[in-house]
Amino acid sequence: MKHQNDDTYLAKWLAGEMPENELQDFKKSNAYADYKFLIDVVDGLETPDYNQQENYTATLDKIAKQQEKPVTKVRTLIPNWAYAAAASVVLFLGYTFFFQETTYNAELAEQTNFELPDGSEVLLNAGSEIAFNTFNWENNRTLDLTGEAYFKVKKGSKFTVITKEGSVAVLGTQFTVNSRNDFYNVTCFEGKVKVTSGKLNHILTPGNAISIQDHIATPYTTIETVPSWTAQESSFNNVAISQVVTELERQYSITISGKENLQDAYFSGRFSHTNLQQALITIFDTMEIPYTFDANSNVSIQKY
Amino acid sequence: MPDHTKSVCEQRVFEEVFNTHSKTIRNFIYYKCGDSAQAEDLAQDAFVKLWNNCAKVPFEKAKSYLYTLANNAFLNEVAHKKVILKHQKSVTSIATHESPEFIYREKEFKGELDRAIANLTEKQREVFLLNRIESKKYKEIAEMLDISVKAVEKRMHGALVSLRSEIKHFKK
Repeated sequence: MKHQNDDTYLAKWLAGEMPENELQDFKKSNAYADYKFLIDVVDGLETPDYNQQENYTATLDKIAKQQEKPVTKVRTLIPNWAYAAAASVVLFLGYTFFFQETTYNAELAEQTNFELPDGSEVLLNAGSEIAFNTFNWENNRTLDLTGEAYFKVKKGSKFTVITKEGSVAVLGTQFTVNSRNDFYNVTCFEGKVKVTSGKLNHILTPGNAISIQDHIATPYTTIETVPSWTAQESSFNNVAISQVVTELERQYSITISGKENLQDAYFSGRFSHTNLQQALITIFDTMEIPYTFDANSNVSIQKY
Repeated sequence: MPDHTKSVCEQRVFEEVFNTHSKTIRNFIYYKCGDSAQAEDLAQDAFVKLWNNCAKVPFEKAKSYLYTLANNAFLNEVAHKKVILKHQKSVTSIATHESPEFIYREKEFKGELDRAIANLTEKQREVFLLNRIESKKYKEIAEMLDISVKAVEKRMHGALVSLRSEIKHFKK
């Protein structure tokens, strides 16, 4: 038979596509009876029962379940027919949403940069932390800051930074807030910034800054257009030397001994974040403070 | 004509797609793995994924998308173990008034057939059963599996040759 070398003729036969003359030949062969019987039996087979409704319900359950998991990204595809299932989890979701605080921090000797839900940008300086509530962020732009951060705020509702020392409120602007222990400094680079600390209210315009130490506010001006620490430097305007030393420790993640030897003095200037030896010279040599610095980066301030 | 206005994101459309394809997809996986509970689970997962991606999958592509998902899920999750399919219904269509001997022979034959089907390659088995039990045309199967019609025909042919050679009944 001419179809013997064809590896699809049985498929053609089943599909009713075998040419008539070949079919006549095929029907005469022994194989035909076997195949015909085989197919008759196979065609009577059935797969296990399938309950479509049950499977559909199970599928909807799976869809609803995946929405129960705490959602970190916003899901826009909530099937309206899953509301019945969703309603039972509203409390749970509501709880996590309302009380979900997002925290960012920058470890010692590093800076962290991130975006807020409205697209406003934040750059956190070393050893700082920011916490805010993502829920209803667009209408309530309030965050808590410990340490120092630079904000580029998108236009929108009032933007408030709360620190231990006071709060800063703005509408679309760029500014830094530095709130370390007993030291509070706000610099405005763009827009208008309202600084509140205790009873003090102060409005800053671009190029203006204010530092508050020991409840005394000192306004000053700056020619910087971005904070110096975003460019691997820390700059100071009449800042207590103890604050400068603490900042040095933060930026290099080191511990300086002998800080009790420091005498009251105020420092104006800047130090580099990339060269510790250079930074030490800049601060201590200019202030005539004796210190030792060894190969293991141990810094010790001497009595003077 | 493709209906561009139908979106799988609509519950009505999603349900329609489910009702049209879910059984065949369940069986498609069942033919591969031989476990109907697992097959149903994987089929449901495929529909969950379809829902999650409903905006990206046009209505006309939903079917092939589902088969691709089901096939991948099978490949990822199911060990390639020997598959023994349990067929529900015995063969009553051949004769209605069987003698006890015939019934015995038929049972024996069915046992052999089940084993022979299990011994088919996975590729032969899925094609063969989709055609014979799900009544899918070669062209439809080719689309589901993303292979050529010729490849489907070869697998069909190979399956039949293999079944005949495996079953002792035919060697008498």
